Amino acid sequence: MGAAGSKLEKALGDQFPEGERYFGLENFGNTCYCNSVLQALYFCVPFREQLLEYYSNNKSPADADENLLTCLADLFTQISSQKRKTGVIAPKRFVQRLRKQNEIFRSFMHQDAHEFLNYLLNELVDILEKEARASKSDQESSSPSEKISNGPNNMSANGPQKEPIVTWVHKNFQGILTNETRCLRCETVTARDETFLDLSLDIEQNSSITSCLKNFSSTETLNAEDKFFCDKCCSLQEAQKRMKIKKPPHILVIHLKRFKFIEQLGRYKKLSYRVVFPLELRLSNTVEDADTEYSLFAVVVHVGSGPNHGHYVSLVKSHNHWLFFDDENVEMIEESAVQTFFGAAQEYSSNTDHGYILFYERLVC
Amino acid sequence: MMNTAGSNTMMSSASASGNNAQSPGLKTYFKTPEGKYKLQYEKTHPSGLLHYGHGKTVTQVTLAHLKDKPVQTQSQSSSSLGVNSGVRSAAARFLGGGNGSRALSFVGGNGGSKSVTGASSRIGSLGASSSNNVVGSSNFDGKGTYLVFNVGDAIFISDLNSQDKDPIKSIHFGNSNPVCHAFDPDAKDGHDLLIGLNTGDVYSVALRQQLQEVGKKLVGAQHYNKDGSINTSRCTCITWVPNGDGTFIVGHADGNMYVYEKSKDGSGDPSFPVIKDQTQFSVAHARYSKNPVARWHICQGSINSVAFSTDGVFMATVGRDGYLRVFDYKNEQLICGGKSYYGALLCCAWSMDGKYILTGGEDDLVQVWSMEDRKVVAWGEGHNSWVSGVAFDSYWSAPNSDGTGENVVYRFGSVGQDTRLLLWDLEMGELVVPVRRPSGGSPTFSTGSQSSHWDSACPVGTLRPAPSMRDVPKLSPLVAHRIHTEPLSGLIFTQESILTVSREGHIKIWMRPGFAESQSSNSDPLLSTSLKEKPSISGKVIGSSCKQ
Repeated sequence: MGAAGSKLEKALGDQFPEGERYFGLENFGNTCYCNSVLQALYFCVPFREQLLEYYSNNKSPADADENLLTCLADLFTQISSQKRKTGVIAPKRFVQRLRKQNEIFRSFMHQDAHEFLNYLLNELVDILEKEARASKSDQESSSPSEKISNGPNNMSANGPQKEPIVTWVHKNFQGILTNETRCLRCETVTARDETFLDLSLDIEQNSSITSCLKNFSSTETLNAEDKFFCDKCCSLQEAQKRMKIKKPPHILVIHLKRFKFIEQLGRYKKLSYRVVFPLELRLSNTVEDADTEYSLFAVVVHVGSGPNHGHYVSLVKSHNHWLFFDDENVEMIEESAVQTFFGAAQEYSSNTDHGYILFYERLVC
Repeated sequence: MMNTAGSNTMMSSASASGNNAQSPGLKTYFKTPEGKYKLQYEKTHPSGLLHYGHGKTVTQVTLAHLKDKPVQTQSQSSSSLGVNSGVRSAAARFLGGGNGSRALSFVGGNGGSKSVTGASSRIGSLGASSSNNVVGSSNFDGKGTYLVFNVGDAIFISDLNSQDKDPIKSIHFGNSNPVCHAFDPDAKDGHDLLIGLNTGDVYSVALRQQLQEVGKKLVGAQHYNKDGSINTSRCTCITWVPNGDGTFIVGHADGNMYVYEKSKDGSGDPSFPVIKDQTQFSVAHARYSKNPVARWHICQGSINSVAFSTDGVFMATVGRDGYLRVFDYKNEQLICGGKSYYGALLCCAWSMDGKYILTGGEDDLVQVWSMEDRKVVAWGEGHNSWVSGVAFDSYWSAPNSDGTGENVVYRFGSVGQDTRLLLWDLEMGELVVPVRRPSGGSPTFSTGSQSSHWDSACPVGTLRPAPSMRDVPKLSPLVAHRIHTEPLSGLIFTQESILTVSREGHIKIWMRPGFAESQSSNSDPLLSTSLKEKPSISGKVIGSSCKQ
């Protein structure tokens, strides 16, 4: 590992970014799902900075209130304050805490990186909201904050009864979708806003993220079994529904639904489809034609042919260099190497390294 | 027709069995308003030879029309185009997507039609087709039309007009991969084929000489940028300069482009100054009269494709930074350009009259750039993935065009990583510009006042930022067909056909409606090709060819 570190330092030479640290993360038995996501989050600079700031403001002496947030903050602080520029760190406390807290992640079975990211972000939000409410003293009832779940399909609407608390996690990751439903009888359009921390997209063979986003926002007709209850007509009606992005998030996280439940097989199958993703992206499925531009800065890659086994690695862009994180190992890669993680153009292929979660950051113009 | 029946059965059985599979049966034809394009031939490389590095390279195709050595048969072409026509007549090329790209000389292919005589339209590519078809595959005597394409570490050469699926010749490069190539049918001194490698090395050779040799090595080559002595980054595109008298240019992945003259010494002294500002366009000339004679620093990141206008006056480049740039080649000056909606641009091509440039890229859009307006005038929406090849169909004329030229219609095609071919009609009078021009008046390119307005808005040498989605008129494709099972890398229009190629080196030749009929006496192309799928490549063919 020392050798690997020095190799990376040599590769970067005098281009090694001032103050930046590139540390591999030790694997504690199938924790690559966790390591790959942690690296992507670490190199999400606004998120990292706010987490480090949080840590310096909230250094709690008592280990008693240890939670996932403090463990994560502790880990990031540990990385960023290393004397050496490269090396390996063991995210031991964080993984222990994670396993203690959620039995899903306790086993040594293969875990899903997206599920982990989802869980982690919601957990952070919960903790921050609780703290915010507590510090607001007791003007509000101490009901536990409503969990904001992730993904467009199971999102809770903004509860009107409670003033939503906007934490710095929200400020980074949260966007708002608007779900427009037009009753085909009375033509009334009902719009319902939903928040999201990431977008889960259905994928097709030999398509692009642009196309998957378009499909996500395409008009869908609700009929037959799936009719819409129109408040105006007071009955189930056929309707047209479409999702648009009302507020694009600062950090756009796109999850490719590569693990699909195949009913005939009674199990999940990995879709190795080739889905190309550009290094720059604009969202055109927005409510206002905002043309918000994003730049890709991290990719969590699933390696392997099936859903129940395999490996996770991540690609990260830092100071205009692309780096490849594989648990303990960190390497420099060419920008053009990102293209090798698009997927397989045909079903039976030796290519098993596929982009799974994409992290785009909004560019300020 | 037996032919059709045969292909129909094949199709239906394939689609039935493949219903839930990823690649439901592909049809052996596709329909357009003017009729059916039928799959005539498929060309590929021996599948047993998936060599080193395969998959890292993207296949491109160059169409090479080799004339009779002693000038006689093709006299029409020499008279109408002359030696100077360079690239323009036959070398249609393809370019590939992904990292690299291409486009070029196809401009040339279309160029011939500029002088609208019957003779010139014939020149391009398929001059010898009918005779070759009749005789069969194995009797080429040097002249003919060939497909030059790269796969892995090899260059393959196929006879366009034979039914043989396998190439007649392969040239292997060992540890490096050829990634781009170009052909000049009117080259002097024999060297007509250029090959650029992923190592940055460049070769010029005589195509005929390669066909005459039995071995698997390049013969009689001139070697430039040997072992990366001038530039170590990957070659991305290569093309002859039209009317350039043996001048060619090579684009590299680091944003530099080099100008070579084949008459000059190949072992150059890399005496170019250090590039001071990577973000600025600059040109440096060699201090001595050696190759390369000039270096153009064009952009940061890869130059993905280069295309010359038919007359050789303008050169268009597209690259990783998403910009189309148009240069006055002789004066080494940036004229205009603009950014994609987002992401890299991968390919570009000129209309034969030099008025429009097509680009395609990572925003899934086909972009139409007007030289007169110096801006994007239309976005073609219809691909579900990156657009890797674009080309105008210079052989097409609108069925109802009355020749007044008032309402010019252009036909063009695009292919993408979505495995599909899209055909488009561009009718300038029909474009609706949503916001900018609320006051009637057709936004045709002929309005003088408008172009002066845009001149002032966009001084020479400035690049336009990415337009907003709502500002650009949209085009819809005339037809969209899934024609391959793999992502595509390029297309070429010839007088008789459309050629499409996949990134992995599978080429399909689709006969145009009229031509397909006349070919129907042949047996089903799919059947025949699949039956003779033997990996015996060159041996016997080469043997019989060496009759001189």
